Amino acid sequence: MTRILDVQELVAGYEPGLSIVKGASIHADEGEIVVILGPNGAGKSSLIKAIAGLVPVTGGQVLLDGVPITATPAHLMVRRGLAFVPQTENIFPLLTVQENLAVAGGILPRATVPARIDEMFGMFPDLARQRRLLAGSLSGGQRQMLAVARALIVHPRVLMLDEPSAGLSPKFVEMVFARLGEIRRAGLTIVLVEQNARAALAIGDRAYVLAEGREAHEGPAATLWNDPVIAELYLGHRKAS
Amino acid sequence: MSLQFILDGLINGSMIGLGAIGVTLTYAILRFSNFAHGDLMAWGAYATLALVSGIAALAGAAAPIGALSFGWPMIVAALGGMALTGLLALALDWLLFARLRDRGQAIIIVMASFGASMALRSLLEFLFTSSPVYYSRAIQMAMPVGLGIRVTPDQIALLVVTLALVLGMHLFMTRSQTGREMRAYSQNPALARVVGIDVARIVRATWLIGAALACAAGIMVGILVQIRPLMGLDMLLPMFAAAILGGIGSIPGAVLAGLIIGLSEAATVQLIGAEWRAAVAFAILMAVLFIRPMGLFGVAER
Ligand SMILES: Nc1ncnc2c1ncn2[C@@H]1O[C@H](COP(=O)(O)OP(=O)(O)OP(=O)(O)O)[C@@H](O)[C@H]1O
Ligand SMILES: [Mg+2]
Repeated sequence: MTRILDVQELVAGYEPGLSIVKGASIHADEGEIVVILGPNGAGKSSLIKAIAGLVPVTGGQVLLDGVPITATPAHLMVRRGLAFVPQTENIFPLLTVQENLAVAGGILPRATVPARIDEMFGMFPDLARQRRLLAGSLSGGQRQMLAVARALIVHPRVLMLDEPSAGLSPKFVEMVFARLGEIRRAGLTIVLVEQNARAALAIGDRAYVLAEGREAHEGPAATLWNDPVIAELYLGHRKAS
Repeated sequence: MSLQFILDGLINGSMIGLGAIGVTLTYAILRFSNFAHGDLMAWGAYATLALVSGIAALAGAAAPIGALSFGWPMIVAALGGMALTGLLALALDWLLFARLRDRGQAIIIVMASFGASMALRSLLEFLFTSSPVYYSRAIQMAMPVGLGIRVTPDQIALLVVTLALVLGMHLFMTRSQTGREMRAYSQNPALARVVGIDVARIVRATWLIGAALACAAGIMVGILVQIRPLMGLDMLLPMFAAAILGGIGSIPGAVLAGLIIGLSEAATVQLIGAEWRAAVAFAILMAVLFIRPMGLFGVAER
């Protein structure tokens, strides 16, 4: 199995001398869904933002398909095959749905963009119906779909998502996760940060629990959900025994 | 009562509007009020003057086009002047603004633009003295067009040019990939980087476009009025008022607001008195800030 994303002892922070990510090591193999769990403020968002080049890295390294991408400027990450859906403000509200996709398609060969946008609309029919609306007028669930479509349009190898289910109704949570399952079956590798541990572990293959800026636990998604120590410590539910 | 002020207001308003496009883009994308924008206008007017003189020295005097006061050298010089003004803006950014941008602190960048404005203006006075100069000394006959309004061929031509520039800008921002990227970047710089937008490219495009349009406005002032080192400073308040009235980041807004301010100024001169002209832009600016801070086409801050 090929190791697509390999994060080794990553140290990163927003201000000099103040590390938020403190030597985190995680990896994702081809076609895997890797879930990152952890309490609020554990540094989950900071970790994937650091991988995406948005938080200054002061130690360790990130390999994508064996190639170091640690110091790569954020805008080149997507060209290397790493797509990222941030936790909040992950669409351009004053561009139309179609323009959101077109602007992200900017790194593709010009002539292929319209067809690729249509493919995205095929995958997300809800968006196709609203293509001329301003993205800011979409509902929370549709925004999340647009953010995912926007990330997928460039054929990434790895898709990183930060709490895609946050603030969504149960129906939309189910829909978003069903979509992620389909996307994985198409061969993509997914790194998923989630608060909604139950839904995430249900589609995940492997999971990490992050605490204080580094991984505190790693295991198959199925057993993590049933591990009483982990459950009580980090997942906020007590296993009925 | 003469309705001539309507035409004068439209002409003046087009120049304000063209300048305000640069102000609004700089504010929306680079996130600071560039007080040196007016001086880019003046520099553009002088650069074009130097090119026109250069062409005349090399190629001899050219016949004017039709009834206009200028010939083909003016058109060539205008294009060259716009390019040179764009380069001047890029140089300023490289020398000054980019270095300050890296350290954050918007107010320091605004202050630096004040300094740049004074330096640019003094340099113009040093190079060209402060007495006014003209592209052409030819007197133009104004033609009556009804309702007591008279218009010169130059005025008609420049109104058409403004219309073309504004339409072109609008199409550029809505249809081209670079235009879309500029809008995306102004809405969310971090997300823009995530989707692969090269910030350095967006910054360059913003300076080039803003400066080229400032130069166009400067040339218009030069053709219709005169060229002076202070010409840009005089336009600064109306341009900022237009950018804010139109809604920061909105190009149609900036142009429409420019026309509104130009018309109000002209109406004030006609109805109240010329000494109140400068107060109008200020009064409009204050009224907008109190009543509708996001401007005509603006969106309230989230
Ligand atoms: N832009 C920022 N500048 C400075 N510090 C930040 C910034 N963003 C987050 N932090 C700090 O980094 C730490 C980790 O935050 P982070 O958002 O990575 O946690 P998280 O695990 O994603 O939490 P949540 O579950 O609430 O999303 C927190 O102490 C937070 O205050
Ligand atoms: Mg987070």
